[in-house]
Amino acid sequence: MLKTFLAFGLCMACIGGTSAAEPEREPFDDRYCTTCHGTDGRGNEGVQAPRLAGMEPWYLRRQLENFRADIRGVHAEDREGIAMRPMATKLTDESIDDILGWISSWDYIPAEATIKGGDPLRGRGLYSACAVCHGADATGNESLGAPALVGQNDWYLVTQLKNFLAGYRGAHPNDTYGAQMRTMVSTLRNEAGILNVVSYINTLSR
Amino acid sequence: MSRSIPSLEVGVSKQVTRREFLNLLGAAGGTAAALKAGSALGLLPHTAQAATLDLRAANPANRKVAILGAGLSGLTVAYELSKVGYECTILESSHRPGGRIFTVRHGDLIDEIGNRQYCEFDDEPHMYFNAGAARIPSTHRNLLAYCKELEIDLEVFINENKTSYLQDPALLDGKPIRNIDYTTHTRGFLAELLAKSLSAGEMDQPFTDPEAETLISLIRSFGDLNEDNLYKGSLRAGYASGGFLEHGAQKDIIAMRDLLKTQMGRQFLNANEGDTGPMLFQAVGGMDKIIEGFTNHVGHQIHYRSMVNAVEVKDDGIDIAYDQDGTRHLLQADFCFNCIPSHIMTGITNNFPTQYVDALKYIRRGTAYKAAFQAKERFWEKEDIYGGISWMNNPSKQIWYPSAGMHKQKGIMLGAYDYGDGELHTAMTQEQRIEAHLTDGEKIHPNYRNQVEKPITIAWHRMNHMLGCSARWQRDRNGWTHEEEELYHALQQPVNGRHYMIGDQVSMHSAWQESAVMSAQWAMADLNQRLMA
Ligand SMILES: Cc1cc2nc3c(=O)[nH]c(=O)nc-3n(C[C@H](O)[C@H](O)[C@H](O)COP(=O)(O)OP(=O)(O)OC[C@H]3O[C@@H](n4cnc5c(N)ncnc54)[C@H](O)[C@@H]3O)c2cc1C
Repeated sequence: MLKTFLAFGLCMACIGGTSAAEPEREPFDDRYCTTCHGTDGRGNEGVQAPRLAGMEPWYLRRQLENFRADIRGVHAEDREGIAMRPMATKLTDESIDDILGWISSWDYIPAEATIKGGDPLRGRGLYSACAVCHGADATGNESLGAPALVGQNDWYLVTQLKNFLAGYRGAHPNDTYGAQMRTMVSTLRNEAGILNVVSYINTLSR
Repeated sequence: MSRSIPSLEVGVSKQVTRREFLNLLGAAGGTAAALKAGSALGLLPHTAQAATLDLRAANPANRKVAILGAGLSGLTVAYELSKVGYECTILESSHRPGGRIFTVRHGDLIDEIGNRQYCEFDDEPHMYFNAGAARIPSTHRNLLAYCKELEIDLEVFINENKTSYLQDPALLDGKPIRNIDYTTHTRGFLAELLAKSLSAGEMDQPFTDPEAETLISLIRSFGDLNEDNLYKGSLRAGYASGGFLEHGAQKDIIAMRDLLKTQMGRQFLNANEGDTGPMLFQAVGGMDKIIEGFTNHVGHQIHYRSMVNAVEVKDDGIDIAYDQDGTRHLLQADFCFNCIPSHIMTGITNNFPTQYVDALKYIRRGTAYKAAFQAKERFWEKEDIYGGISWMNNPSKQIWYPSAGMHKQKGIMLGAYDYGDGELHTAMTQEQRIEAHLTDGEKIHPNYRNQVEKPITIAWHRMNHMLGCSARWQRDRNGWTHEEEELYHALQQPVNGRHYMIGDQVSMHSAWQESAVMSAQWAMADLNQRLMA
């Protein structure tokens, strides 16, 4: 296991330029994503931080900008979003560029399926509404602004769908794509619908 | 039936019979018997002694040890195993050792994600702030044994100070009162109540006369009651005036009805008992002197800014991948001791057994939060305060006056400590946090805003490489569930006899340095046992 892991890992970019207020002071940079998002951005259920490796750079940029602009992660019930927002608040455009470059050096390794209790057969029917934007194979569609779902941590998908359904995410007036998601997600109706559709996504080839 | 207690101006709605009183205390016939049985069975504590580690079987030939995280437990392992000749390597993702033992001084980086700060305190030995661990109870003997062995100077930590304040908007229109006013009057009230219930004549006599006499004199002395067992105020609360060259005048009593308006007594009276009861110590010059004591011996083994990325336990050893300077490295070892916080470890590639991973995932974290200010002058000393804690019924909760540096010009004071649930301040911007603490502190020290400067804040939930404070295993108030016990024991056992999780997270008493030390000692003793077998 570790051998392949090491071989892939070595292509990781060098830690970028550091900034410091005074020359003798401890330097730091903004590459702190892996503390929460885990080894090479593969997600960490322990802190409910999703997989970043393999995430589309345009989607990641939009989300970082939304967090930075207080469009995402502001609703009091969006616990994970609230945890994320301050991490993005102080990022400069340059830092975001640097982070996106760094993240693109990580290999896409699909996340494990973890959720239980969903019915993929029922989820399949529900997924037809999602497929319009995210594609039948859930690999996403940049021109529609829809990210890939396949390979993402299923617990993260469940949380986000719940948040859209409850209006914890996507309710901000400037969150155009979020508003679309809120309309679409209403077809899932409830938690059972969410579990069904995510367990169907888990069956798609990764 | 109601009966009034004149001096206290309160009505006690129901008369307490002595029997009820004794039943409440659980003392009727029970205590003496229990104590005797206890000593007979050897249940009473032995003389305090730190654990002596026997690592004789841990033969160092060709034995390499990887230590993940330079937390206190990791350093304990490095120190002990180096002594017996092992080759230790410590991987630490942060720029500094010590983890949650973190003393902040002039120029230091506070690596809170999204809120990096450099500390601007004056550069003087007494101008430091213990942002993590701050107190060492005298019963934490294993930690104290290392302090002695590593020659770390200790001094008394002042937890309770009778001149510090208690402030609650519900109490006397928010006027701060001194600890001594609250405690003296509350004790007086409680004692009078007890004395009354004990002397009601119609009750059974579970006590012999001499016992009852001792008890009543104890109660009288506890509350400073007069000869009629009434509380009429006490000079223990200090003098309204005089007291030295003239007779002291007694202060007015604060009516019990008023004191009962605050709920804070529950925490306040509890704050100096148990682990935080006297005697408490701190390391002279900052708690990280303890860490320095260890790094003086094993500091050269630490690789900083080295983030562990993968742990693979094999039949014949352990492979660890880590990133340093943008390059991925491989460290191969025979044994591994790992104090990486459980919730971070779950995001690190590993081949641990399912139950072990389930245990790591089960643990939740506290959200401790602290803030500190530099005081331009030690204004509290002008109010007779030297060390100790003032309590406020507002989100900043506490003000700590430094236990060291008496009568110097300046000092560092704690301006907020939310030990339980610091999410409120964690979610604020730096500016909002500081404003909140100034507004809260002004309720006690009206000129606070002008007296303090150079604030720092530490939200442990956001600290890089830590993301939380103490491990929380127990979800039900009433105790550990069977499942929790099983997960705990699963995590304590090594994987393949080679990989040990350590730290206060692998203890039933988290949030204490002693637990971190003891978890490390347990793991090393277990390894020694296995090597002997
Ligand atoms: C606010 C606060 C107040 C406290 N007060 C007290 C007190 O008064 N008295 C007391 O006795 N105790 C107190 N404690 C508890 C005490 O600080 C801890 O019990 C003790 O320091 C824990 O030590 P540890 O060995 O478990 O390691 P930790 O301190 O948890 O260290 C873990 C280490 O792992 C490193 N790490 C994380 N990720 C990686 C990675 N991927 N690769 C490599 N390294 C990694 C971290 O940087 C860190 O150095 C307090 C703690 C806090 C936060």
